Amino acid sequence: MQIELSAVVPVPLRDRIRQRPSDIWDREVAFQPRQFVKIKAPSGTGKTTLVHYLYNIRYDYTGTIKADGKPWAQYSPDQLAAIRQQTISVVFQDLRLFDQLTAEENIELKRVMIPQPIYSAEKIREFAEVLGVTHVLQQSAATLSYGERQRIAIIRSLMQPFQWLMMDEPFSHLDEANTAKAARLIEQECRARNAGFILTDLDHDQHFPYDVTYQL
Amino acid sequence: MQFNRILKKIIRTGVGKSRYWMAIIGLGVAMLLILVAVQVHTDFNELLHGSRNENERADYLVVNKKITNDMMGKPGQTVFTPEEQKDFAAQPFVEAFGPITAAQFNVQLQADQLGFSTLAFFEAVPDTFLDVKSEEWKWKAGDQLLPIVVPRDFVNMFNFGFALGNGIPQFSETSIQNLTPEVVITQGMQQAKFLGKIAGFSDRISTVLVPQSFMDWANAKFGSGEVKLPSRVVIRVKDPSSLELKDYLEKHGYSTDAEKTKYNKIRGIVQTIVSVVGFFGLVLLMFALLVFSMFIQLVISSCRKEIRLLVTLGASPRRLQRYLLGQLVPVYFVTGVIALIVVAAAQFWASGVLEKHGMYVAPWPGVLTFAATLGILALVYFVNWTTVRKEIQAHT
Repeated sequence: MQIELSAVVPVPLRDRIRQRPSDIWDREVAFQPRQFVKIKAPSGTGKTTLVHYLYNIRYDYTGTIKADGKPWAQYSPDQLAAIRQQTISVVFQDLRLFDQLTAEENIELKRVMIPQPIYSAEKIREFAEVLGVTHVLQQSAATLSYGERQRIAIIRSLMQPFQWLMMDEPFSHLDEANTAKAARLIEQECRARNAGFILTDLDHDQHFPYDVTYQL
Repeated sequence: MQFNRILKKIIRTGVGKSRYWMAIIGLGVAMLLILVAVQVHTDFNELLHGSRNENERADYLVVNKKITNDMMGKPGQTVFTPEEQKDFAAQPFVEAFGPITAAQFNVQLQADQLGFSTLAFFEAVPDTFLDVKSEEWKWKAGDQLLPIVVPRDFVNMFNFGFALGNGIPQFSETSIQNLTPEVVITQGMQQAKFLGKIAGFSDRISTVLVPQSFMDWANAKFGSGEVKLPSRVVIRVKDPSSLELKDYLEKHGYSTDAEKTKYNKIRGIVQTIVSVVGFFGLVLLMFALLVFSMFIQLVISSCRKEIRLLVTLGASPRRLQRYLLGQLVPVYFVTGVIALIVVAAAQFWASGVLEKHGMYVAPWPGVLTFAATLGILALVYFVNWTTVRKEIQAHT
């Protein structure tokens, strides 16, 4: 799936964007399939906003964002649901876990949401083992530390098929070692799916061999 | 399935439990009332029209104008004018209409075998109204034998009233049919004699009947020559207890055999009760639907954040709708089935009780009752589906 941005400007940030140059806002940008895309942005420049626009859960912008040549606005709720199950996965900055579920149930929810799960339930344990969160799987998501929640959200995002993985500061609360493990797992899963990702972060990093880097 | 198990933890339907049960109980009672109303309606129709309950006399009514004190001595006021006949015959509840022609001459019956003679009278109706189908039922000018139909009531009056009191032997119907009383008809100085022949006994029309052809001939010969209007008419109706018939008779001051139309009153009362019960049922159903909708709104708005997140993560709104409906449908389906079973049991019991009184109704609920059950369930489903869809759309 190709994602194209055409003169996209967030309405709330309009004035600020005019004052400083950006590789994304108010430009023609196309994210090619299978690309590893890094978007570097200082705070307050609309990082999270961009991820929400790309994932189509926020609409307060001018210009158009097209997925496979069709503007987001033209997709029906059912088509969007299908895309979120099969084509685009996401790790939100605020993670968005269900507090009333255990960590494992949060992951399981995504695994069984798709008609034919791509992974068996054992895969959850396997990934949890890799990221070192096996011991919290049975705990309520509400009781986890931010770092643990972050890793649970990453595992959840890997429970589905996708062509694009959107990640909004996915390692912000992880130490070097855990970040490296998580990055390795993500890269491995993206390669296995022949998929690309769009990752936003504050600074430069060497976690992935990025194909393109944009300054927001 | 597993997805639904997790959904159950996220979307807590327990939040409006009291409302939920109120809606279910309301729905149950409403369905019961409506089904009872429908079933009673069906049963009453069956009592009136069912073949097992049919009453031979019920279909034919002899109608005349009520003779009031004012009308006494003014025979012109008791006849049906051509306009009145036409209007009456045109009523939708009248299947057939025939005037009863009265004789314009005097009749004397002399039964020599019995040694008695009596004054009598003749009337005639079109042959189609007669319940006596007899080969002998014809007369043409010159015939000496005159077929006569007498009401079966007359035979009973004669046998059990007159004969016993006067020391005359009682007669069976066949022996009466073998009698040939002499019929003398007179008008002024004119006289004619015939041999009467009892051709049959009628349950339908309480008068002494001769063939129309004889009546026409005799009235022409002995009558005044002017056409006399009928003062009685016979009608065939599908339903002698119909309220339209009752209203029509009352409006025009006509009267008929009250026995035959006595169901009018009962029917009016039953219809009113059934309507009131049905009405309450409908009102209750509306309230139940309202509470149901409130329950759904409460559940959905109490977890609107969760629903939004589910949709964000890729759950399709349609699937969430299905899940929510799936939580409701089995319960009210069971409610509907229970209501139907209760009505079926009541019907079975009522059918047994009524049978002892010679009234027959089916021991099972009618088709209409089943249709009503399905109809109500479909309505509840539709309303709930609409509410769920609207609420989910509003929160995503």
